[in-house]
Amino acid sequence: MATETTVEVQLVVFQLAGETYGVDINHVQEIIRMQSITQIPRTPAFIEGVINLRGRIIPVIDLHKRFDLPTAEITNNTRIMVVELGRVTVGMIVDSVSEVLRLPATSIEPPPPMISGIDVAYLKGVGKWEERLIILLDLDRVLQESEQRQLQQEIAAGVETR
Amino acid sequence: MRDLDMSQYLGIFLDEAEEQLQQLDEAIVKLEQTPEDLDLLNTIFRAAHTLKGSSASMGFNHLATLTHRMESVLDALRQGKLAVSREIIDILLASLDRLRVLKDSVASGNGDEGEVGDVVGRLEAVLSGGSAAKPQVKDSSTAALTLDDVEQNVVRAAQVKGFHVYEIRVQLEEGCQMKSARAYLVFNNLKDVGEVIKSVPHTQELEAEKFDDTFTLAFVSREDADTLANIVKSISEIKAVAIKPIILEEDRTEAAAAPVAGPEGGPAARGNGQPAEHHTSQTVRVDVQRLENLMNLVGELVIDRTRLAEVGNGLKALLDNEDLLETLEEVSLHIGRITSDLQEEIMKARMFPIDQVFNRFPRMVRDLARKAGKEIDFIVEGRETELDRTVIEEIGDPLIHLLRNAIDHGIEEPAARLQAGKARYGTVRLRAFHQENQIVITVEDDGAGMDPEKIKSKAVASGLLSREAAARLGLREALDLIFLPGLSTSDKITDVSGRGVGMDIVRNHIEKINGTIDIRTTPGKGTCFTIKLPLTLAINRSLLVQVGGRVYAFPLANVVEIIDVTPAAIQHVHRQQVVVVRGRVLPLIYLGQALGLKGAPPAADNYAVVIVGLAEKQIGFIVDSLIGEQEIVIKSLGNFIGKIPGLAGATIMGDGSVALILDVRSLVGHLGVEANRELAS
Repeated sequence: MATETTVEVQLVVFQLAGETYGVDINHVQEIIRMQSITQIPRTPAFIEGVINLRGRIIPVIDLHKRFDLPTAEITNNTRIMVVELGRVTVGMIVDSVSEVLRLPATSIEPPPPMISGIDVAYLKGVGKWEERLIILLDLDRVLQESEQRQLQQEIAAGVETR
Repeated sequence: MRDLDMSQYLGIFLDEAEEQLQQLDEAIVKLEQTPEDLDLLNTIFRAAHTLKGSSASMGFNHLATLTHRMESVLDALRQGKLAVSREIIDILLASLDRLRVLKDSVASGNGDEGEVGDVVGRLEAVLSGGSAAKPQVKDSSTAALTLDDVEQNVVRAAQVKGFHVYEIRVQLEEGCQMKSARAYLVFNNLKDVGEVIKSVPHTQELEAEKFDDTFTLAFVSREDADTLANIVKSISEIKAVAIKPIILEEDRTEAAAAPVAGPEGGPAARGNGQPAEHHTSQTVRVDVQRLENLMNLVGELVIDRTRLAEVGNGLKALLDNEDLLETLEEVSLHIGRITSDLQEEIMKARMFPIDQVFNRFPRMVRDLARKAGKEIDFIVEGRETELDRTVIEEIGDPLIHLLRNAIDHGIEEPAARLQAGKARYGTVRLRAFHQENQIVITVEDDGAGMDPEKIKSKAVASGLLSREAAARLGLREALDLIFLPGLSTSDKITDVSGRGVGMDIVRNHIEKINGTIDIRTTPGKGTCFTIKLPLTLAINRSLLVQVGGRVYAFPLANVVEIIDVTPAAIQHVHRQQVVVVRGRVLPLIYLGQALGLKGAPPAADNYAVVIVGLAEKQIGFIVDSLIGEQEIVIKSLGNFIGKIPGLAGATIMGDGSVALILDVRSLVGHLGVEANRELAS
C-alpha cells in the first residue's frame, strides 16, 4: 500500500454532532447497528453499558457524552463502531458512518487550538479531503483517559471506604 | 551439548521429582505413626529409588548422592537392621527438605547446586550406628501376602465358621511356557474345594503374565493342607507348592510382606514412580489453558442451548403442527442433552482431588506441633473429594492459616490438657465432603475453644470497637470479630501465628472464590471452622430477578430464601427499613437503590424480597419481580469498565440480551458504607 513516496492512511469516516471525524481503519473491528444496551450502575455517564457481540461482552461509550457534545437522537443511521486498541475492545456510538477514505499522510495537519468544542488533546490532527475537513481522533487518548478516570474513581471510592 | 539434549526432559523430571518428594513426605510422616508398616516402607523405598535413578540419569549428582544414602537407610529399615525412630524420621525429613532445595535450584536453572555433605553424614551415622537390629522379615519369598482389614475380616469370619485359611505359595517351573494358563488351572482346580480371597500378584497381573514364577494365594477351604497340595501338584509344570495356615491375631508379621521390589532394585528400577500393584488410570498432561478454552466454548454452547430452546418456543407459538417444528424440537432437545453432558465432562476434567492440597499438611502439622511442644493427632478425611482447579489454587493458604491457628491457639499443651481431663493428644481433624452443590471443608480441633467475651475485650483494647458497641454484640457477632484485620486472640506472639493478620486474609481468600466461612466454638471443648465452596467458578446457578426493567442475577449460593413482604410489615429503625422474619430483624433495601439506580419499587400489595446471606450477615433485597433459576456463564465486564462495586460480571441470556451478575459481598459491603453515612448525617 505504501507505495513509492506517498504514505497513506486509511480512515473510517463518521459523523458526530454535525462534524466529520475519522479513525484509523486498523483499529476498527466492525460497525454494527444500534442495539439494546445493558446499563451498568456506578459508571461514568459516557459509559452507556454493555452489549453482547456474538458471545463477547463489549462496553459501549457514547462519544457525545464523552466529549460533552449536544446529545443526538438515535436514528436509523446511528451506529456502534467497535474499535480495538491494545487489550481493550470498545463500542462507540456515532451518529452515522459514511465511508472509508484513503488520505495521504501529507494532507494531515496538527489540530488547530480550538475545534468544534472537543479538547485538542483527544485529536491526532485534521485531514483535508477535497473541500472537507476530517477530524482525526486519537483513540489512544480517548480510551486510555476513560480508564484513568475510572481508576481515579476507584481510588476515591477506596478512600471513602476507609 | 548436554544441556540442549536434557532440556526437553527437564520439565518432566521436575514434575516427577515433585511428585516423588510429595509422596515421600507424606509416607515418611505416616511411617512415624505406623513404624511396622512394611508396605509403606516399600513405597518409600521405591519412591526414593526412582528419584535416585532419574536424578542420576539427568546428571544431578548431588540429588543422586543424597537419595542414594536415604535409600540405604530405608533399605536397612526394610530389612529390619534398623528400627524406625523419631531421630531417623527427623533425619529422613531433613534429607527431603534438602532434596527440595536442590530440586528448586534445578528448577531455577542453577543445576543441583547445594551442600549435601552434612545430611549425608547424618544418614551415614545412622547406618553405622544402626546395630539395634529388629528382625521384621521372616519370610524372604518374592511374593507374599499381607491382608488388609476387609480381608482379615473375611478370614476371621471363615475361621469362626470352621473353615481353614491357608497361604498357598505356588512356584511354576522355570521356563514354563504358559504361565497364565497354569495359574488359571490352579485357580480353577482349587475353586472346587474352596475360595481364593486374595492373590499376590493380583489376578489381572497373573492373567497378563506379569509375574515371575511364583504367586501366592489366600485360600479358604474345609480341606486340609495335604489335600490342597495334591490338587495343585496334579497340574503339570508346577515346581513347588508351599502351604501354611494363616494365623491372624494382630500379628501381621506372620504374613509379612517381602518387598515387591527386591533389594537389588527389581521393578522399581524401571524408573516410573508408580508402584506396580496400584491400578493406574491412563492420563495425559494437558495445558490448563486448553481446558480453559474448552470451558469457554462449552459456556457458549450452554447459552446457545437456551437460545435454541427459546427460538423453538417462539416458532411453536407462530406455527402449528409443522413436521419441521417437531424436528427442530427434537434436535434442540438432543443438543441440549449433549451440551449438558459435555459441560459435565469438561467440568470433571478441571477437577482435582483435594488431596493435592491436603497432602502437604501432615508434614506441616507434625513440624508445627513439635515446634509448639504439642502432641497432635492429625486426621484427614475426604482426600478424594474433587474440586475445580481454580478453587484448589485458592484454598491452600486459608487452610494453612486455620491449621496453624488450631495447633498454636486451639490445642493446649499436653500438661494443660491432662489437667483439664482431656487426652494428652490433641486431635485436629481436616475433612472435605460434598454437600448438594457445594464442597464443605471443616477444620476442627478439640482444644481450648474461643471465649466470645475475651474476643470482645481484645477488640475493644485494640481500638477496633467501642465498649458500648461490644456490649451490644451477640455471640455470633462477637466470634465474627476475629475476622477483623488487626485482631489476634492469642496472648503471645509466636513464630506460628498471633500477629493479628490471618483470619481476615482467610475470609478474603474464601470470599474471593464465592465461599463462606463459619465458626462454631465451645470454650474448653474446641473449635470448628466450616468452609463452603462452590464446585466451580465458571458456571453458576443463579436466581434471576428484575429491577427497573433490567435483569440481574444473584448467585444461588448467596440466596438464603425468598419471601413476600407486605408494605405494612416494613418498619424503620434508624431510618433503615427492616422487616422481622421469624423473630429476626432483617435490614431491607431496594435492589435498585443498592445499585445506585434511580427509582423505587413499583407500588404493590406484596414485595418480593430475596434474602441473601454472607457470613453471618443477612440482608433482604426488594426486587420488582422474580424470574427464576438459571445456569449462567460468568463473563467479565472487561478492563475498560473494570471492577464495579456490587457487580461480579455479566452473562448472556437466552434471548441474547446481557444481564448483570451481582456480587453480593461487595454489594452488602457497599451498603454498610452508605448506611453509616446516613446515620452520621
